[in-house]
Amino acid sequence: MIGVAALLTLSTACSNEREGETTAGTGTGSAAPAKGFAADALIGVALPSKTSENWVLAGDLFTNGLKEAGFQSDVQYAGASTTVADQQAQISAMVTKGAKVIVIGATDAAQLSTQVAQAKQAGAVVIAYDRLIVNTADVDYYIAFDNFKVGQLQGQALLDGMKAKKPEGPWTVELFSGSPDDNNSGVFFNGAMDVLKPLIDKGDVVVGSGQTDIKQTAIQGWKAENAQQRMDSLLTSTYNGSKTLDGVLSPNDTLARAIITSVKSAGKDIPVVTGQDSEVESVKSIMAGEQYSTINKDTRKLVAETVNMVKSLQAGNAPTINDTNSYDNGSKVVPAYLLPPVIVTKDNAAESYANDPKLAPLTQQ
Amino acid sequence: MSRIKDLQKNLFGGTTSNARQFGMIFTLVAIILLFEVWTGGLTLTSGNLIAVVSQYSYILILSIGMLMVIVAGHIDLSVGSVAAFTGIVVAKAMQEFSLPWPVGILVGLAVGALIGAWQGFWVAYIGVPAFIVTLAGMLLFRGGNQYIGNADTVPVPEGFRSIGAGFLPEIGPNTGYNNLTLLLGVAACVAVVWRELRARQTRHEMQADVAPVWISGLRLVVMVGVIIFATLRFAGGRVGTSLPISGIILIALVLAYSYYTRNTIGGRHIYAVGGNARAAELSGVKLKRVNFMVMMNMSILAALAGMIFVARSSASGPQDGLSWELDAIAAVFIGGAAVSGGLGTISGSIVGGLVMALLNNGLQLKGVGSDMVQIIKGLVLLLAVAFDVYNKSQGRFSILGSLMRPFRRDDPGQPLDRSLSTSDTDKAPIAG
Amino acid sequence: MTVDSTLLEMRSITKTFPGVTALEDVNLVVRSGEIHAICGENGAGKSTLMKVLSGVHPHGTYTGQIVYQGDEVRFSNIRASEQAGIVIIHQELALVPGMSITENIFLGNEPRRRGSIDWKAAQRRALELMEQVGLREDPDTLIKDIGVGKQQLVEIAKAFAKEVKLLILDEPTAALNEADSQHLLDLLRGFRERGITSIIISHKLNEIAAVADTITILRDGRTIESLDVKADGVNEDRIVRGMVGRELHSRFPDHTPDPGEVFFEVRDWTVRHPISTERLVCKGSSFTVKRGEIVGFAGLMGAGRTELAMSLFGRSYGVYLGGRVFKDGKEIQLRTVAEAIEHGLAYVSEDRKAIGLNLLDDIKTSMVAAKLSKISTHGVIDQVEEHRVAEEYRKSLRVKTPSVDEGVTKLSGGNQQKVVLAKWMFTDPDLLILDEPTRGIDVGAKYEIYGIIQRLADQGKGVIVISSELPELIGLCDRIYTVFEGTITGDVARGDADPELLMKQMTSTKKIPTP
Repeated sequence: MIGVAALLTLSTACSNEREGETTAGTGTGSAAPAKGFAADALIGVALPSKTSENWVLAGDLFTNGLKEAGFQSDVQYAGASTTVADQQAQISAMVTKGAKVIVIGATDAAQLSTQVAQAKQAGAVVIAYDRLIVNTADVDYYIAFDNFKVGQLQGQALLDGMKAKKPEGPWTVELFSGSPDDNNSGVFFNGAMDVLKPLIDKGDVVVGSGQTDIKQTAIQGWKAENAQQRMDSLLTSTYNGSKTLDGVLSPNDTLARAIITSVKSAGKDIPVVTGQDSEVESVKSIMAGEQYSTINKDTRKLVAETVNMVKSLQAGNAPTINDTNSYDNGSKVVPAYLLPPVIVTKDNAAESYANDPKLAPLTQQ
Repeated sequence: MSRIKDLQKNLFGGTTSNARQFGMIFTLVAIILLFEVWTGGLTLTSGNLIAVVSQYSYILILSIGMLMVIVAGHIDLSVGSVAAFTGIVVAKAMQEFSLPWPVGILVGLAVGALIGAWQGFWVAYIGVPAFIVTLAGMLLFRGGNQYIGNADTVPVPEGFRSIGAGFLPEIGPNTGYNNLTLLLGVAACVAVVWRELRARQTRHEMQADVAPVWISGLRLVVMVGVIIFATLRFAGGRVGTSLPISGIILIALVLAYSYYTRNTIGGRHIYAVGGNARAAELSGVKLKRVNFMVMMNMSILAALAGMIFVARSSASGPQDGLSWELDAIAAVFIGGAAVSGGLGTISGSIVGGLVMALLNNGLQLKGVGSDMVQIIKGLVLLLAVAFDVYNKSQGRFSILGSLMRPFRRDDPGQPLDRSLSTSDTDKAPIAG
Repeated sequence: MTVDSTLLEMRSITKTFPGVTALEDVNLVVRSGEIHAICGENGAGKSTLMKVLSGVHPHGTYTGQIVYQGDEVRFSNIRASEQAGIVIIHQELALVPGMSITENIFLGNEPRRRGSIDWKAAQRRALELMEQVGLREDPDTLIKDIGVGKQQLVEIAKAFAKEVKLLILDEPTAALNEADSQHLLDLLRGFRERGITSIIISHKLNEIAAVADTITILRDGRTIESLDVKADGVNEDRIVRGMVGRELHSRFPDHTPDPGEVFFEVRDWTVRHPISTERLVCKGSSFTVKRGEIVGFAGLMGAGRTELAMSLFGRSYGVYLGGRVFKDGKEIQLRTVAEAIEHGLAYVSEDRKAIGLNLLDDIKTSMVAAKLSKISTHGVIDQVEEHRVAEEYRKSLRVKTPSVDEGVTKLSGGNQQKVVLAKWMFTDPDLLILDEPTRGIDVGAKYEIYGIIQRLADQGKGVIVISSELPELIGLCDRIYTVFEGTITGDVARGDADPELLMKQMTSTKKIPTP
């Protein structure tokens, strides 16, 4: 009975409210992004599940950074088991709540076009954070470290490391790349190959297993266990004899450590292994002389720049862009702001992490 | 009594309706009201309702099939993987052979039917428990998805996306609403009124008690009220939006399957098999065929759900369908189905699914993290079923029951069986 | 060996269940070291008495006194009675199929050493116990891999492991073949030599007459008499007289039978047990049914009556090995239940709750469940028609319920049985097989059910009634077949049927020439 009465009152109450909303909806539906918005507007941030330190850190930084800038924030992580569907629902909820800017660190960059379109139509600005959202014209900006550059640095570091150990080639290497559903994986790999390919063609660098295609080198889900499995089988199939492995191109730290674990348990000498992300365990590993290099993509800087972008949008200004032709997502070329990455080895670690409260102590020896 | 029970019966339209379903309606209304107030009116905005429908339509479609599987006394753990597998097959097929998208949908349904036949064969004809068969299917088709898709994301063409992300077109005069949605709403109102009159007439023919006119009137006012409200909401969203196509597919399926389970021999046989398989068999029910069809139907619906999700995501990816089986199973149990089979209704499962959907949505609108959302959903499932089990063991419906007791003339909880406990203690259950 | 001291005395035991008095003023005296048999019809109260003794019905739920080894005892559960050395072995064996003989013998009674099970000691002791009961098997053999006869021996060994003083066996030979039964009886005699007292409950009167020292006969929950086998010169006939000695009058509605021609005939029906490949449950059974005839099937538990009926009804039991069925002179095939229903057969199961009804259903759904096509067009059920049909049966069978929308669990046993009868009458059968149609039903409802059965016969349908109550068969049936261990041993016309004759035929393999 109570429910019935409640429903009745609801339905009548809402029919009144409806008129206003309809016209408002029609009004803003096709309008371009508004010229600025309220200084305390809601900013949505949708990030992937909490599987890496970086995303957790980024979430905290966004929460604080947006608060300091005077915005309301709604920072969401996708659930660990239902990532894509969760993120879709979270973005929809942000749109419903009237977020003015939605920052998305995509779980699967190709499966968000419906939600991005929805956001766009509701008048929100969509910023792809770290991972470019593809196959949609509704992404406004892309902000990330220069991932092609990251790849180039990784490739160069691999060569430098191997030269330091064994001045004369040819060097035997294995290649790893990231998750195939992450748009960045290809960019890293292509950057690295930009450096390595000429040497491979010349024969100075030899890929022991012959697996040079990104489909062969990909590690599903950026998962350590998958990388370890692949390395185990490579060691069994290719390096069971006297053949030595000089270097491994690894796209990030998690995979690098998995690769090192695998090599160690096979009783082999640790080759030169690259990395990325400056994870605590990897910095320790570099200082211990195991992993060769990592990339410092300071999440603090990236988040700070993203918040700056939001601030410019709030004021009605065009945000700073430094690349307007590299990032074609399949539907349009997305204007991008790229931050330069820094390669870190044991030699420059102390200097690179001087400002990082967590990593700096690790580099003091 | 029996006004409330009649109301309950007609809201659910089923002979097997029980207090949990009625309770879930209250819960659903309570959740909606709670979040409506808590989110400052965001829950019932057009935009949000449209988003909720398109986000959860595929889970609700799964729960239709799952209800039938569970009523028949089985379970299907493979639906998420089957959905993902179908999604990638359809996406790949359209990409590589440039199939037109309607053909793609047919291909998808065919894939679902094949998978269903495969699983139904093992369950019905070999007698492997469905839990095992579908656990195997879960691995099999998840692997199949990654094998075919190279664990990559495959986009689907624009036309295909309409089944997941599409809306009704804007036609006719500018009324400030989506006209086709309005038409659907009007049709629904007419149907509800017609059904009520029809039901009264039927009761009359049966020479059963016909509810007083005022009850029918009240029931109609409530239902028509809800329909009008929903229609205006769905029709009054942004221009270009309406009741989502996926929602229309869902409604059509709910109506069709409710009718099937309630009014046909095939539907009755599913309940008979789940209620007492041996008794059903001895009444001439073809047990194997029922089990086969139920499993096969589930996979076809899973295939459809998978395609709707892919359409909505505009691409098929390796993470599609993860843990959907759990959402669908939870919806069915919250909606009043019995773990041991034989009990449950389609409409109950839909209400159960909506409870989960609106809970999820409301918590997301409040900015509650997905970790907490999972914890809360887990507790809701546990409590909903525990509530029912506890009440059954007490032979009453505690909270709801005590509200309704003055009106009730019967107690469906415990059998009144005096004779069997004492007589014939010397005989074994089966002997000649 | 003193045979004269009293081991157990149960004095004036009365046990009531709500509405029913199961035992009334029952007395039982068991002397030390004897084999004491308890006889009685189904429902006479034998098992209830044993449950009182073993603490299943704890002290306080019955009145009367139990004196054991000279002291009054008040068992509150089975454990308490087992500690006193009273062990009951039920007809359904309490063994775990997937465990070994040793594990089963010591289940719940494991020999321990420093907290963990001492399997070596267990093994040794198991071999000793197996020797005592004459079981020659590897103690590591799994229970499921040995026959029923040997399983029974394991149960007895298990009882010995608990230092048994009084061993109670409930229908120990019901599931055993001749040789195994004989071995078991020999074993009981051996126990008597060693001073172990046994109580045996059995329907097999020949065995009882052969092995027992004393027989106590129960009827309708009362002690009728206690016979000393040697002194009184007891034979089977004497036992039967004690068991069935009640008058039969006015328990049945008046009825003039008018059977027509033979229309249903079964020839050489042979079926084996679904699991045990060597055990035949129907051994070349042949019988006929006339139109309008009520045919009874009498037999003891395990005789194979239900198995015969269910195997005829769409091969719902066991493995069909051979036999033919004729209806109206033409041979018919009954391979599936659907086929059987199509040919006008109906089978009302003895176990309403387990296999007769879907307890989740309401009355009207149950009543039409066996022939939905009759009220459907193109697979869509006409619910108005369903309701009408159910109402009709509610009225004609006088089902006591406020409405046919009620759940079947809310009905009493008698009314549930009427619903099941309605369900099968709705299929419009020519031959109804009613398996224990009045089981668990009170006297008033029984009378009504008998009336329904007679009306069905008057409509020209053949009715087969399987019952364990001889008076019921004698009062109701036009003709009675007796069945013993899968064989039809007799065909007794209404006028010739008396309990003693039937009981004799039900307990002997001798095929009595059909009159």
